[in-house]
Amino acid sequence: MEKHPKMGIYSTLLSVVIAFVVVLVFFYGLNHLIMGMQGLPLNLDLTPAG
Amino acid sequence: MMICMQKKLLPLLLLLMLVGIAGVAPAANPGMGDVAERIAPVGRIQLAGQPPLEDESEAAAQDTEKVEAKAAPRPTRSDYPDIGISSRAIVWVLAQLHLFFGALVLAVPLFVLIIELVGLISGDERYDDMAHEFMKISLTGFSITAIFGGSLTLALFLLYPDFMSYMMSVFGAQLLVYASLFFFETFFLYTYYYGWNAFRYGNLKWVHLSLGLMLNASGLTIMVLANSWATFMMAPSGVNEVGAVVGNIWEVMKGPLWNPINLHRFIANIAFGGAVVGAYAAFKFLSSSDPQQRAHYDWMGYTSNFIAILAFLPLPFAGYWLMAEIYAYSQQMGITAMGGILAWLFILQAVLIGTILLAGNFYLWAGMSRTDGSVRYKWLVKYIALILVVTFLIWITPHTLMLSASEISQLGGTHHSILGPLGIMPAKNVAVNLMLIVTFLSFQLYRRSDKVATVRWAPAGNALMVAIYVVAIVNIIFLGVYYGYFTNTVYKVGSSVAQVVSTLVVIISGIVIDTLMFRNAKTLPSHWGRISDRAQYALFALPIAFTWLMGLMGYVRSSVKTHWHVYTVMKDNSPDNYIPTIAYAGNMITLVTVLFLLCLLFMFWVANLSGSRQPKPAALGEGA
Repeated sequence: MEKHPKMGIYSTLLSVVIAFVVVLVFFYGLNHLIMGMQGLPLNLDLTPAG
Repeated sequence: MMICMQKKLLPLLLLLMLVGIAGVAPAANPGMGDVAERIAPVGRIQLAGQPPLEDESEAAAQDTEKVEAKAAPRPTRSDYPDIGISSRAIVWVLAQLHLFFGALVLAVPLFVLIIELVGLISGDERYDDMAHEFMKISLTGFSITAIFGGSLTLALFLLYPDFMSYMMSVFGAQLLVYASLFFFETFFLYTYYYGWNAFRYGNLKWVHLSLGLMLNASGLTIMVLANSWATFMMAPSGVNEVGAVVGNIWEVMKGPLWNPINLHRFIANIAFGGAVVGAYAAFKFLSSSDPQQRAHYDWMGYTSNFIAILAFLPLPFAGYWLMAEIYAYSQQMGITAMGGILAWLFILQAVLIGTILLAGNFYLWAGMSRTDGSVRYKWLVKYIALILVVTFLIWITPHTLMLSASEISQLGGTHHSILGPLGIMPAKNVAVNLMLIVTFLSFQLYRRSDKVATVRWAPAGNALMVAIYVVAIVNIIFLGVYYGYFTNTVYKVGSSVAQVVSTLVVIISGIVIDTLMFRNAKTLPSHWGRISDRAQYALFALPIAFTWLMGLMGYVRSSVKTHWHVYTVMKDNSPDNYIPTIAYAGNMITLVTVLFLLCLLFMFWVANLSGSRQPKPAALGEGA
């Protein structure tokens, strides 16, 4: 079975951390967007602002 | 040459469109007047102390008569013919069987067309042969659909004459458009099926695909027209409060529930059709000992399951939209469905959907044995199974329990302290979304089993995919628990939309990432036919559960009208104008499901029969 080009442990860890940070920010923004579109604004800590 | 052929086809398509428009246009405006005319008062009021409106009184009386004449009929009990058997039961069985077969024969040509197109683009004739075989299975279904449709129409006219008379007056010429579409559908069906080998290669293949497209266009138009009758009965539009038609046919058709039902049935039909032809493939797989045939039917079963599960994934969201629109139209109707007597049926729905997802997942896990590359992912199966089982149990947890008086006193109420919170929608929403996500994960792992990514960014792509799964699952649980239990109802309902979007993000990003990451990937050999016989029974479970589910939810959809033929407009005064007990409904749904499965076996047998040929009896020939 063909192997992927080897990545160092640090670069693997870094890509995992970056991926999680990016996705967390994305879903955080998504929650604000979807709730806001329904007229249900949220505070920065995601508690209801209404 | 291809352009030349397309140029030849273009006028034909335009002609067909014009015929369609010409057929619909006159029906679109029967009795349509100016808006001001339609909202004009039907009478005048004489104020105290004012001279009598003698000149106007006659006209007003005539107007009133006009409105009365158009109002929905008010039949009494004696207006319903009594033939000694429950009219509702007869119509129930016929309508449901017609709908089952209608769903099947509308769905199969849809994915057959796509498979045929895939075969054309990929140049792999196996796709073409498989698509042809799918059509062969469903061909008998068209006749059976028509038989049940005709029987249903006769039964309705016989047993509910006033109701049918009213529906005829409301929909008018639209019914003729509906009938004429059957001619188109029949023409395209026979030319599409019997022309398969005659129009197999080159430009003729495009002619064949166009025939398939027109077959689907006819079928889908038939479906949306028929849907408008069902949605008019639930949420009438284009009529006033006494049922008199005040709008044009478009206003009558385009009620608030029409598009949600159209979308829901469109998706559900594909999932149902995929499940039924999957059962055929399983039946052929099990009954064959030839390795080549088993490999073919294994591949066919896999494709069918793929279609069924892929179509099934967005189905709960379409159902959610439908229920939201029902609540928006009439909160009472929504509560009847999900908070009253019919609410228990949603627990049965959960059991059936859980069965479908467990069977679909099991088939995918069993199918991973076709390729050696699956060992990389098999360790994940037990965790997926665990999540599926836990979420399934949460979904089937009822809000209230059926308890005796002593049990209630022991418990301190009808709500169990632990099970009670799991019985409400936030918990169900979390469970459903997680079930769909892990089902997609099974599907994604299966698709990855026979591939090795060669792109340099594959590790980063995998890290991103893992992050999306983990964060989406955490987000769905957070949304369900926090907004569902610790904020007000408006936020609880609103957060369910964010949950659905989170699930869709996983599915869409999974498809996009895998498509890019496995471009030019190294492919590992797949051994079609190398799957356990046990897995085939999952393919049998799918159509049975789908059929029962369709019967169940169709009953719920129809019953929310309670004692109305047409909700709030025409009362049902027949002896059956009540919601029956759950046991009675369950028996009826089971009866219809069994009848459908028997008809399905007949359909499979006929499809099988066409491929067999009796050998010439040698003894007789020699004797002569």
